[in-house]
Amino acid sequence: MEKYPEIVRLDGAMGTMLQKSGLQPGHCPEALCLTDPDCVAAIHRAYIEAGAQIVYANSFGANRCKLEKTGYTVAEIVPAAIRCARQACGSDIRVALDVGPIGQLLEPYGTLAFEEAYDIYREIVEAGAAAGADLIVFETMTDLYEVKAAVLAAKEHTALPVFVTMTFEENGRTFTGCTVEAMASVLEGLGVDAVGMNCSLGPRELLPLAERLCAVTSLPVIVKANAGLPDPATGEYYITADAFAEAMQRFADLGVAYLGGCCGTTPEFIAGIAEKTKNTPVKARQAERVSRVCTPTNVVTIDGVRVIGERINPTGKKRFQQALRENDFDYILSQAVEQADAGAHILDVNVGLPGIDEPAMMARAVKAIQSVTDLPLQLDSSDAKALEAGLRVVNGKAIVNSVNGEADVLERVLPLVKKYGAAVVGLTMDADGIPPTAEARFAIAERILQAAQRHGIPKEDVFIDCLTLTVSAEQEKAVETLKAMQLVRDRLGLHCVLGVSNISFGLPARATVTAGFLTLAMAHGLDLPIINPNAESAMNAIRVFNVIYNVDKGAEAYIAANARTAAPAAPVSKAEAAHDLPYAIAKGLGADARRLTRALLDEGRSELDIVNGELIPALDAVGARFEKGEIFLPQLINSAGAAQEAFEVIKTSIANRGAALVSKGKLIVATVKGDIHDIGKNIVKTILENYGYTVIDLGRDVPVETVVDTAIREDVRLIGLSALMTTTLGSMKQTIQALRESGHACKIWVGGAVLTPDYAAQMGADFYARDAKESVGIAREVLG
Amino acid sequence: MPIQLNGINRAEVLQYLGWRGSEIPPEVGAQLDACLAETVQLAAPRMVWRVFDREAVPEGLLLGEDVHALLAESRRCVLLAATLGGGVENAIRRAQVRDMTRALILDCCGSAAIEAVCDAAEQEILAALGEGAFLTDRFSPGYGDLPLSVQPRFLETLDTARRIGLTLTSTGIMTPRKSVTAVLGVAASPQSKRFRGCAYCSMFETCTFRKVGKTCGKIS
Repeated sequence: MEKYPEIVRLDGAMGTMLQKSGLQPGHCPEALCLTDPDCVAAIHRAYIEAGAQIVYANSFGANRCKLEKTGYTVAEIVPAAIRCARQACGSDIRVALDVGPIGQLLEPYGTLAFEEAYDIYREIVEAGAAAGADLIVFETMTDLYEVKAAVLAAKEHTALPVFVTMTFEENGRTFTGCTVEAMASVLEGLGVDAVGMNCSLGPRELLPLAERLCAVTSLPVIVKANAGLPDPATGEYYITADAFAEAMQRFADLGVAYLGGCCGTTPEFIAGIAEKTKNTPVKARQAERVSRVCTPTNVVTIDGVRVIGERINPTGKKRFQQALRENDFDYILSQAVEQADAGAHILDVNVGLPGIDEPAMMARAVKAIQSVTDLPLQLDSSDAKALEAGLRVVNGKAIVNSVNGEADVLERVLPLVKKYGAAVVGLTMDADGIPPTAEARFAIAERILQAAQRHGIPKEDVFIDCLTLTVSAEQEKAVETLKAMQLVRDRLGLHCVLGVSNISFGLPARATVTAGFLTLAMAHGLDLPIINPNAESAMNAIRVFNVIYNVDKGAEAYIAANARTAAPAAPVSKAEAAHDLPYAIAKGLGADARRLTRALLDEGRSELDIVNGELIPALDAVGARFEKGEIFLPQLINSAGAAQEAFEVIKTSIANRGAALVSKGKLIVATVKGDIHDIGKNIVKTILENYGYTVIDLGRDVPVETVVDTAIREDVRLIGLSALMTTTLGSMKQTIQALRESGHACKIWVGGAVLTPDYAAQMGADFYARDAKESVGIAREVLG
Repeated sequence: MPIQLNGINRAEVLQYLGWRGSEIPPEVGAQLDACLAETVQLAAPRMVWRVFDREAVPEGLLLGEDVHALLAESRRCVLLAATLGGGVENAIRRAQVRDMTRALILDCCGSAAIEAVCDAAEQEILAALGEGAFLTDRFSPGYGDLPLSVQPRFLETLDTARRIGLTLTSTGIMTPRKSVTAVLGVAASPQSKRFRGCAYCSMFETCTFRKVGKTCGKIS
């Protein structure tokens, strides 16, 4: 798209004008492009006469989901909308395909998959491009993940310029929590042509947000403000066109390039802007160039030491390998949340294991992890396909770990880094291995930086890993790593990444060696250490560094962390400290349950014996008290949680022996298609696992065929289905029917708030479970 | 628009948790208090409402007989939508990974919190309507014979996606999940609580409270 040296005026509200022409709320405004094209064209014409230079076609809600009940299709509405706009304008006016949100929330909030969103947008942008739109505008967006799907669809299926504006509240976040800075980071990376904000607020409220945006992006900025704030009782906007134009002029002073109006504005408002900004050049501005990675809700600026958690990695960890092979995402997620709780800023994600479909696993792991933490991710793989699979679905700006100095690696991976707008870690090694000297490693770092810049990746998105060798094996090289980082920091001005713990292999008191090296490394330029954030010595080395370097003012963070460890969270009272496993479980004392299980294993009790002799009787006793009303649900689940901790010790013990756990039998649990209320199902799962059953958890919003296919493939004889809404009971019935029709012999039990025993029977279920405890009884009856 | 959540009714949360009067151990009580505080902190409550003359309510919204009985003395009515936002939901999802009890308690706190938000919304609406206006009970899609199928039209009418970030899944579930839509009548005299009884609730058949001889606490 040509550069506009002067401020460009956009149009004002379409909806407001259509309502003035008699459109009732709740009716499809886009249909008017077909039923009353003259009315739509007249509105465009009015805006053009008022001075608009780009008009937004009346296609905001023309997506297949919203159109479904209108009887129209995208293929009908989108070309008609472009036609209406084109009909109104001369050759000097640009027509934008206007695209709003789909209107449903993406996973994990809703049920819409990222890939489905992408396909919905693909259909619209293809239709818009074919109809001759000059550019594509995604506006009124609140979910950055949805925007990513939209932008990828536009970039991959059209050659048109892409503008994006999101809708913020006064706190500088969208409804889904996305910040102005996260939007800028992600969209600049994805290569959009202009970025900004529209709707929700008037110009006065948007001004500080636009100021923030102008400070962090070098892209042209768009502001389309509402006519003030609406009256709650009537929905009317009250600001006058004059006051609006006056307020909009302030954006020109910030360096905003595109100005227009949103809800409540009319051609009069645009004429006001035209009068105030005619022939005004876009004010030049200098955006800060700093290194940032982010998720929509959490921007991590690399202006100090930032911890990259290393625990999501199967290398050398049998329990993790087992979890990957068994698709045990609960274990992987627990590693993610544990590291987040321990203070990691970024999580490294490595799911590479021989025999695993790494690209598929990477995509699944990324989606799962970002559903439970808001930490930015570092995608760690040597497989470019796995990297791309992760980059595609990652929600935010990620780091790619890694490239090295080999030309073919750079050529394979850097285009992906560029396309998806990630940062990248460059390892200072090449086909000849890791150079022995700091200078030679620096030379590779320089080469990597140059290659990245050739691919259009800005310098601040390149991080260098100077590589740690084991000091007990190659003692003379440790100091070369330190020197190399210093060179990278001082001469290239790049941030350094380093997997620190390698240093201490083969030495006693490893944590001491690692922490000592970490301290030295930070003084030499390391600001992105890859460590285990649960290792207190390493975290404290960082806290000390931050105190010494005057980052942690008044040593507040150091004191807070160490005052906390000085007074450990004691059990409720001394007398309550558990002496046997059944007591620990009855009281829900997880740490005690772990300790006591380890002690039993040390005494030589077998894993199976502990499960059958200790855990299950203890759980039965708790269950009986629950049934009698002596305890209530939180206590039952606390007990289950403690049993789970004991189980984790047992699973690790078995994995370390290379054996498999003897299962009491396999069963499936699933929350049916269309339903996302899964907490009850998850409680049932936890409790059944504690009883030694292998639970295949298919999650929530599970398609009918997934249940049937899994049941047959895994030969599962007991299937539990949950639904919480009357509207999703239909899916439950369909799932049951499909299971019966498949001919697979199985028992089905159902549960959920809206179910009754009668209704369960009517749907063809074998059992109805009122609660988790009853589910145990059913499993015992069917599987023993 | 944003609205203040001033507090959550602890007794209501306990009822959602299925508490039947047993002794609450101190650690569970502490868990509950922590979750209450966290919910208040994470909630970003927003609401949108509009007053309509009854005959001006868009077609296909006030279906069934019960809602018209509710509005018998009301010339105008308010359509209200309120949500806690996604923050509480994120916390619930995250808690499920490491601590299912906390997840369950947070979930119940969220349910009680959105009711508290609606109570606060009613106060704001009353204040905006001025002297001499009285509201009926809140009557939500799914109550009585007002079908859940009106929900899409309800949300469109209030433009909830744009105004408060409230949307529906294709199966009619409101997202963020801790959200409420309701109709309230505006009358010239105080309105009785006739519609807040179990018999009018769509959960009547299956309600877990009723199964143990209790109510959800929202009725007279």
